[in-house]
Amino acid sequence: MIDPLLALLVAFAVFGIFAVLFWPGKGIYAAYKKAKRNTSRVLIEDTLKHLYDYEERNVHSTLRSIAGHLSVSSDDATKLVQKLQSMGLVESGQDGIQLTSQGRSYALRVIRIHRLWERYLADETSVKETEWHLEAEEKEHNISIEEAETLAAQMGNPVFDPHGDPIPTKEGEIPKRKDISLSGLRSGEFGRITHIEDEPQAIYIQLVAQGLYPGMQVRIMDVGKNRIKFEVNGEECILAPLFAANVHVVPLLKQEDITSEFKSLSSLRKGEKAVVAGISKACRGPQRRRLMDLGIVPGTVVTVELESIGRDPVAYNIKGATIAIRKKNADQIYIHPKVGEPRAYKEFSQEELN
Amino acid sequence: MIDQSKCEACPVHNTGNLKRLGINMDKFDFVVALAGNPNTGKSTVFNNLTGLKQHTGNWPGKTVTRAEGGFEFNNSRYKLIDLPGTYSLLSTSTDEEIARDFILFGQPDVTIVVVDATRLERNLNLVLQVLEITERAIVCLNLMDEARRRYIEIDERTLSRDLGIPVIPTEARQGIGIPNLLTAIDEVVNGKFICKPYRITGTSKGLAKAVEYITEKIKRQFPLLPNARWVALRLLEGDQKIIDAIRSGEISGIAKRNSVEENFAAV
Amino acid sequence: MTKIQLNEKEKLIASANTLRWEIGESLHDSIIESIYTDAAKIANKVVKVKEQKKKYSYDQAIDRIVTSKWLGFPIMFLMLSVVFWVTIEGANVPSGLIANLLVDTLHPVLKDFASSIGTPSWLSGVLIDGAYLAMAWVISVMLPPMAIFFPLFTLLEDFGYLPRVAFNMDNLYRKVGAHGKQALTMTMGFGCNAAGIIATRIIDSPRERIIAIITNNFSLCNGRWPTQILIATIFIGGAVPAYLAGIVSAAAVVGIALLGIIFSLVVSWGLSKTILKGEASAFSLELPPYRPPRILRTLYTSLIDRTIFVLWRAVVFAVPAGIVIWLVANITIGGTSIAEHFTNWSDPFALLVGLNGVILLAYIIAIPANEIVVPTVLMLTVLVAGIAGVGSGDGVMFELDSVADTSAILHAGGWTVLTGINLMLFSLLHNPCSTTIYTIYKETKSIKWTVISSILPVMMGFAVCFFVTQVWRLIAS
Repeated sequence: MIDPLLALLVAFAVFGIFAVLFWPGKGIYAAYKKAKRNTSRVLIEDTLKHLYDYEERNVHSTLRSIAGHLSVSSDDATKLVQKLQSMGLVESGQDGIQLTSQGRSYALRVIRIHRLWERYLADETSVKETEWHLEAEEKEHNISIEEAETLAAQMGNPVFDPHGDPIPTKEGEIPKRKDISLSGLRSGEFGRITHIEDEPQAIYIQLVAQGLYPGMQVRIMDVGKNRIKFEVNGEECILAPLFAANVHVVPLLKQEDITSEFKSLSSLRKGEKAVVAGISKACRGPQRRRLMDLGIVPGTVVTVELESIGRDPVAYNIKGATIAIRKKNADQIYIHPKVGEPRAYKEFSQEELN
Repeated sequence: MIDQSKCEACPVHNTGNLKRLGINMDKFDFVVALAGNPNTGKSTVFNNLTGLKQHTGNWPGKTVTRAEGGFEFNNSRYKLIDLPGTYSLLSTSTDEEIARDFILFGQPDVTIVVVDATRLERNLNLVLQVLEITERAIVCLNLMDEARRRYIEIDERTLSRDLGIPVIPTEARQGIGIPNLLTAIDEVVNGKFICKPYRITGTSKGLAKAVEYITEKIKRQFPLLPNARWVALRLLEGDQKIIDAIRSGEISGIAKRNSVEENFAAV
Repeated sequence: MTKIQLNEKEKLIASANTLRWEIGESLHDSIIESIYTDAAKIANKVVKVKEQKKKYSYDQAIDRIVTSKWLGFPIMFLMLSVVFWVTIEGANVPSGLIANLLVDTLHPVLKDFASSIGTPSWLSGVLIDGAYLAMAWVISVMLPPMAIFFPLFTLLEDFGYLPRVAFNMDNLYRKVGAHGKQALTMTMGFGCNAAGIIATRIIDSPRERIIAIITNNFSLCNGRWPTQILIATIFIGGAVPAYLAGIVSAAAVVGIALLGIIFSLVVSWGLSKTILKGEASAFSLELPPYRPPRILRTLYTSLIDRTIFVLWRAVVFAVPAGIVIWLVANITIGGTSIAEHFTNWSDPFALLVGLNGVILLAYIIAIPANEIVVPTVLMLTVLVAGIAGVGSGDGVMFELDSVADTSAILHAGGWTVLTGINLMLFSLLHNPCSTTIYTIYKETKSIKWTVISSILPVMMGFAVCFFVTQVWRLIAS
């Protein structure tokens, strides 16, 4: 018979080797897969996306920007661009490297898959918000356009990704960006800077000095007659309307989120009542629909009926039915403050009072 | 409360005219769909009509495939389709899709919506959605006994008038009200009761304009379509089945059939 | 893009699409809100509640007890224990009767009839000793417990208690990244894993449904309870003083079942950290009002819907297995049967994980149904150990009425307490039966998930048995 100690040691060793090889995300196999990722298809598609992105932002792309974006050497970037030129996807003109119409529709196709996948992750899976983009970066090169179409049909052909960006259609159409000037946004609204007018130069220099550049996200804090106060990259910024008119932005959909003025449903205690104000935009897809189908719409009166061990989930009486909801979702349901009417003392059961 | 025993005796309301056919339904004259929220006694109604003994659990998604059964009443043969129990018909989940597509594309001659009388408001959500899709529907106001125990009274005549369709109170567990339900089915499929379904009044804000615009476009292309507004809403929600049906022209099939019968009813 | 002249229909679809970009994503919300507004308007008009005075509500009273902090879990375990106890106790007698009829009475009659009409012995061996006997065992061991368990389970379901179980257990399942309703499919799995897997349809998140499917096998199903009880009685009960035997062996079986629940939670957690990455998704569950179950109808429907369905699938898979069992015991190469060749060959490995070649072979050829593992083990032990005078020939499965006799055979086959413990562990942690595997494939329509749910438990079984064995030996030496 084999010595048990030896057997155990061998087994641990085998397990250790196996773990080193296949540990999710960090093992040798995962590293190998990561290294293999930079195939020519991935490089081509990432280049096209980069070019499209710069065109959208009215910035000229160069070999250097490509090399920097893909983290390859400038020699490789040159080769890549030559290859793309021979494929008829890009052309270089006086404005730097530009997409041909064929290249643009290829780029849009990749973007479509990317945004569809983000939408899928947001709606149908419980992947964390911070991981959507990274996972979609992988997936956009791996799934075929047919698979993407099936996915789209299954989700009800979404037209926006979870960040509020439009998803290009199968045919490569995308809505014309509707730039407005920063002064066109109302307070509380979100926008992304798309363009900064370089004429007249005096104003332009001022704006650049403020550290504004295309792609930044802004949130308007206050719109006054003589000044517009907004938040950009976590810092407060104030511009005169004349200056603000030269900053172009696209409004983002985020502004509809109901803010912290409301309490969440999960703050109610057993026996308390409240009126639903709405569901946070962070709750989306089938989850959102399911909650609404169950009767959680603005105006519905909700009573806490039962609390499970650990207070998660909690069962609420919603339009006559008892429905259990996890705390995570109850956090996303907003209620009107001060409407919850406490019950009279005599209505409490003996058990609750103890 | 109507005296049930008298009803059972009178010739019109005779369950004697009911012949339960179980799963035997080769030749049938009419198709009846059975929809409803979970926990409303939908299966009990199904079993009551067909004589089958189907079991469904207490939660949605249990009846994932639809069950079928048959019965004969007043010399007409009916095929009864038990749709999955759902709270709504607007989501992308499989069971809701099955129910929604059957009511639209399966074109049942009448759709019975089984409703829990003790929670009418919540159940009306589904009823109103069904009425957006189809014109011919019946509300089966089930669990009346439980409602009575809880001192809930429902003015079913006003409800029927408001919804524009027959509303039949039942206690399916005891078989009470089933004869009335059969009569209502008979009346609706034979055009003796013409449904004027309630349609949802307002979609809020700036959306109404978009909905109206598409509805008009659909009406222009498919003038006979009875539920253009609903088709427009589905189109704006990106429902692939509707997109395909418009592309293939299948949607006009729905229009044709309905209009023929409307003309027939008008005669 | 060059645009071809679109026809009217395409234009309609295209303009809808353009509009969707403009109106944003609030359409759905707005539709549902307006429907509920109208519903409320109509309902307010037609519904009247006569008496405002709140009546004592039974539902709330029951709910307060069954979901309470202190009583919730004890009541749950009590209910389930009662269900299992009734199932195991109640099944004994009918199982014996059916076995008596099909195995002890009908089997010899068939054999005699076959030899009287001059059937060659290999043919009657394959058909009667192999196929027929496997079917007979499956029916006699499987039918009575299922016919008791499923109706009881359905009664709890119809009464409305099971959703409360999910409500109580959800907290645990959320923490391991799984769905609250997995508690229900797991409980269902105690009856039959195939039925448990079908029940996972109630879970609407695909990720969590796959987790529920993979981990369902960790619920000790009805087919495995008899093995557990027999082995626990012989080896665990036999190792303690007689007055403790009953309680200790019962505790061992319950311990294995609890271990299964722990494994299902741990594996769910592991899966949601690795190949099925993600957090627990939304969970909304209606707690329906309690309704008195209709006992007769429930008995009838659960018998038809679940019992007969599952039994039929098991029989279909058991028949070919019976043939294989007979063949491996009877086809000889160089004077020894295939079975002996295999057990000799696999013994070194099997001993390493504290089992033996017979058990491995039994688990391989008895893959269609866990019910025939014990008869196969006995038959093979007798065959391999060369014990004379028990059973009725090579390749003929049998069971003995007396536990003592069974114990004698197993000890003669070289079994120890350690073998017993490992068999109990391996019976919990091995590949699902072929009925279940087939059901997993039908439900997931994915070869990948079917393979994973089949391989994962058996790997874990080997690992756990190996560890237990080596540590045991280390301590013993």
